[in-house]
Amino acid sequence: MVDAFAYVPAIVLLPFFSFLVALGAGRYLPKGGAFGGIAATAGSFLLSLWVLATVAGGRAYNETLYYWASEGGAGIGPTDIELTFGVLIDPLSALMLVIVTLVALLVHVFSLGYMNDEGETGLPRYYAGLGLFTASMLGFVVADNLLMAFMFFELVGLCSYLLIGFHFREPGPPSAAKKAFLVTRFGDYFFLVGVVAVFATFGTATFAGEGSFPALADAALNGSGSVAWIPGGLELQTWLTIVGLLVLGGVVGKSAQFPLHTWLPDAMEGPTPVSALIHAATMVAAGVYLVARMYGFYALTPTTLAVIAFIGGFTALFAATMGLVKDELKQVLAYSTISQYGYMMLALGAGGYVAAVFHLTTHAFFKALLFLGAGAVIIAMHHNEDMWDMGGLKSKMPVTYYTFLAGSLALAGIFPFAGFWSKDEILYEALVHAPGEPLLFGGYLMGLLAVPVTAFYTFRMVFLTFHGEPRSATARDPEPVRWNVKGPLAVLGTLAVVTGFINMVPVQKVLGLEGIDVLHRWLDNEWGGIDGLSSHHYADLGPYSSEYLVGGEVGTVLVGAAVSLGLALTGVLVAWRLYNVPSPTEHTAKLGGIKDVLYNNYYLDELQVWLAYRTEDVAGGADTFDQGIIDGVVNGVSSVSLFGGNRIRRIQTGIVSQYTAILTLGLVALILVLGVTGGWFL
Amino acid sequence: MVPVEWYLLLAVGLFCIGLFGVLTRRDALYFLMSIELMMNAANINFVAFALYYGDLTGQVFALFVIALAAAEVAIGIGIILVLYRNFGVTDVTVPTEMRW
Repeated sequence: MVDAFAYVPAIVLLPFFSFLVALGAGRYLPKGGAFGGIAATAGSFLLSLWVLATVAGGRAYNETLYYWASEGGAGIGPTDIELTFGVLIDPLSALMLVIVTLVALLVHVFSLGYMNDEGETGLPRYYAGLGLFTASMLGFVVADNLLMAFMFFELVGLCSYLLIGFHFREPGPPSAAKKAFLVTRFGDYFFLVGVVAVFATFGTATFAGEGSFPALADAALNGSGSVAWIPGGLELQTWLTIVGLLVLGGVVGKSAQFPLHTWLPDAMEGPTPVSALIHAATMVAAGVYLVARMYGFYALTPTTLAVIAFIGGFTALFAATMGLVKDELKQVLAYSTISQYGYMMLALGAGGYVAAVFHLTTHAFFKALLFLGAGAVIIAMHHNEDMWDMGGLKSKMPVTYYTFLAGSLALAGIFPFAGFWSKDEILYEALVHAPGEPLLFGGYLMGLLAVPVTAFYTFRMVFLTFHGEPRSATARDPEPVRWNVKGPLAVLGTLAVVTGFINMVPVQKVLGLEGIDVLHRWLDNEWGGIDGLSSHHYADLGPYSSEYLVGGEVGTVLVGAAVSLGLALTGVLVAWRLYNVPSPTEHTAKLGGIKDVLYNNYYLDELQVWLAYRTEDVAGGADTFDQGIIDGVVNGVSSVSLFGGNRIRRIQTGIVSQYTAILTLGLVALILVLGVTGGWFL
Repeated sequence: MVPVEWYLLLAVGLFCIGLFGVLTRRDALYFLMSIELMMNAANINFVAFALYYGDLTGQVFALFVIALAAAEVAIGIGIILVLYRNFGVTDVTVPTEMRW
């Protein structure tokens, strides 16, 4: 029998080959190499489905494929470290493979409409970038150890740089690309230190199995094992928290959490399909996926979890408020992405592993949908992204409108669209685990407050774009879009409606129906998986216990769902009142100074630039110290030698008799000194 | 038997004459002769102590030193010849090229 797991490397390599083909021969191929990319991602998608089916058949896979640093079968260094490439397929990575390959495939198809039909140049470069981007993310997803994950994490960052800066002849994109690269690199720096710390502490960085670092950490905390190294006599718990926070640095950078979120809105300078790929399935998802991947480690350190939850909740609210006042379609979506990933971090921090993966799944579909929908609108509007120039597109482009509406309902968390189920579960998890955890409770409150804000800005966007009267000539006569735009939209629109049904925990709890929480059972290894990587195991490790506030479990489920749905509907209704009119006005202007603060992103960009300049001052001081003190000492020593040499060389007269005299006098002097100190003359 | 101190005083005198020659003379041939005197001063020391201690080690050393002196003279004469060929004199204060 042919084993699906043997083809896992092919899932990663197919897009990589499409990258090579597009790079090497793209200019000779029709459509700039697009079909190679489509074929490769379609192949990867089919293989991923097969892998998913195999995992559903009760099997999992955890194999080291290649040792790239080891000695004669043994590890290197005092702790026997082996640096490897391997593949880890468990329910989580199998699910993620399907999501990534599906979104990548649809983005490739959409690119035909967005890039090729719009007559862009440099298409081989574009498709090469997409292929490498997909390959890097897939490599990251199947990685079986932290170092391999880190390497692909960096590749993802590189690809985002290449693709955001695709239109490198304009001033904006290269600057945005550099910003994305540098800001995420700042986080990755901590990640790298964290990887080294994990290797030093445990001597291994594998995610799964007996000798994996989460298992070793657990054993060490239980007292049934020990770790190889702890610096400076720290408590084990303290040190594990520090390592967790270091790795979290990379997560905060990539998943655009506060305070490293500033790169993401600028990344909108890239082509819209790239934005869809970055925000839905790759890059930004990588951060959250990493936390989920090593959740067995994070679950051991309550402090880290609380920090994750608080950062997540804060980011969710913080980004949502900025989305309220933006004028450009993609900007609103960018802030919604930051906000939604904040929710996932809140879920992870609150012990809601399944909830986070659930939201990751649903968000991948509805955010890809929204971005591709925005791309369709941008095609129709001749690349004008200002929502105040749109309006009335509803009747002109019905497919885009209805799919976009489905995505928006999902984003706003309206029953029964996908986002409702996942967001509700996140808030429920946070709520039942919050008592006694002030940070977590703060995160929950902010997450809850972000619900109406999200609903409001989402529907402000929908109403401004599609409803009312057209407000410009292009909006009156938009350019039509073809099948290659509508097809992906239809697929994703359907998914945005139905994905929520894979995990209807509230319905199960309220009605007592069994077996409709498929994702829960899936991540709990009910069909198959690897020991120690199940949601049950994580829940046992985690520090939280559930407390139901009102009316037991069922009551809490109902109240929680009702509150979040009510808040979301309030947001929608407010947006409806304010913006669903023939010619809406900019109500946010009434906010006055607050609007300016929000519109300028709380001046965080300015703050970071200011910080960068302060860093420059410090660097200038260090430079002065280096040039003045360090170099001064070195130069001083050499000047003294030069001067002394100049004087002392005068004794080299070249006259032999004088040398003899000096020799003799020296001997006499030596004998005198020895005689006096040795007491010969006494 | 003559006490060993007298031999030593003779050797010191001989050495000082040789040293005086090296320090004051300017002709390279005088150098050679003075060095020969200094070596013989050392020889006298060796032989005197050989007599004093009653073993032959010192005498053997003296023989070696005589052979060495012969070789040194051969090399020294060679150097002086080259000196003369290049500068036309054997005065050691004239060639002062090897200085700063």
